[in-house]
Amino acid sequence: MSLGFYEKGKHAVRFWLLRRLPPCKEMVEIVSQSFERPLSLRERIIVKLHFWICVWCQWYMEHLKMLRKSLRAKADQIPEMDSALSPGLSFEARERIKRQLSGGK
Amino acid sequence: MSEAQVTAKVAIPDPGIWVDQYGDYLFKYAMFRLRDSYAAEDVVQETFLAALRGYENFQGRGSERTWLVGILKHKITDHYRRITREAPLGEGQEEEGPEHPEFFTRTDGWDNHWNNNYAPTEWHANPAQLVEQSDFWRVFHECLSPLPKRTATAFTFREVDGLKSEEICEMLGITANNLWVMLHRARLHLRNCLEMNWFKREAGRVEK
Repeated sequence: MSLGFYEKGKHAVRFWLLRRLPPCKEMVEIVSQSFERPLSLRERIIVKLHFWICVWCQWYMEHLKMLRKSLRAKADQIPEMDSALSPGLSFEARERIKRQLSGGK
Repeated sequence: MSEAQVTAKVAIPDPGIWVDQYGDYLFKYAMFRLRDSYAAEDVVQETFLAALRGYENFQGRGSERTWLVGILKHKITDHYRRITREAPLGEGQEEEGPEHPEFFTRTDGWDNHWNNNYAPTEWHANPAQLVEQSDFWRVFHECLSPLPKRTATAFTFREVDGLKSEEICEMLGITANNLWVMLHRARLHLRNCLEMNWFKREAGRVEK
């Protein structure tokens, strides 16, 4: 089925916008900075408009939010979960620290 | 219930037992932020020494581990301040991380927009469950490892510890602009790497 008049119009507007807004490469930088500083009004409008036509950049924002949320929520459990990080204190270091601690009494 | 806390009030703990009980946790905590096992051993030792000296300040309030982590955080901060003071890094002397131009290279006239092969896809994951899977952490570390150490550390301080930008800049001796570039590169790289090596595979597993 061919697109209706309204749909065609929407497509044309989106295409027109996509050509005039900053490209995704610049958008992801602004999106990243939105986690660090308040965006200017102009930037906020650009992000809103860009998100309206680009689901990729929307998802990009979602993913950054999700990563931050999950990492921060469980920050204190990470060393326990994280068997990949390192096996823990080596035997030598453990003994050395124990010696230091009992010597420092 | 708080038996450990009550006994802790009475006597200074046996340092040997202490090290066995909390040593690994503190060491891993420090490794995540220092990425250097010698430095991590040092700050863990300093933490235990400081904790032993100031034990009367603890007096069984809250969890012992949380208290130790509090001290460790200060030691890690001191470590970075010392390094920054001793060898201040000029602007641009160290790389911030990969730029990944291939993510935004297209040949159809839409250059600088997402290349279809690298464009984000929808993630079907519960953030809370994510961090409880040890496989996820293996992938996470593999994804962080190609980043310059300083960039990975800045990312950890910001996204895991939630430190303020100003604190991180002061610790690492960098400007806010510098930090933003580092965080942007880290996010760009990590998001893609996690998607390729974790989220897409997880999605495949669910479909089967």
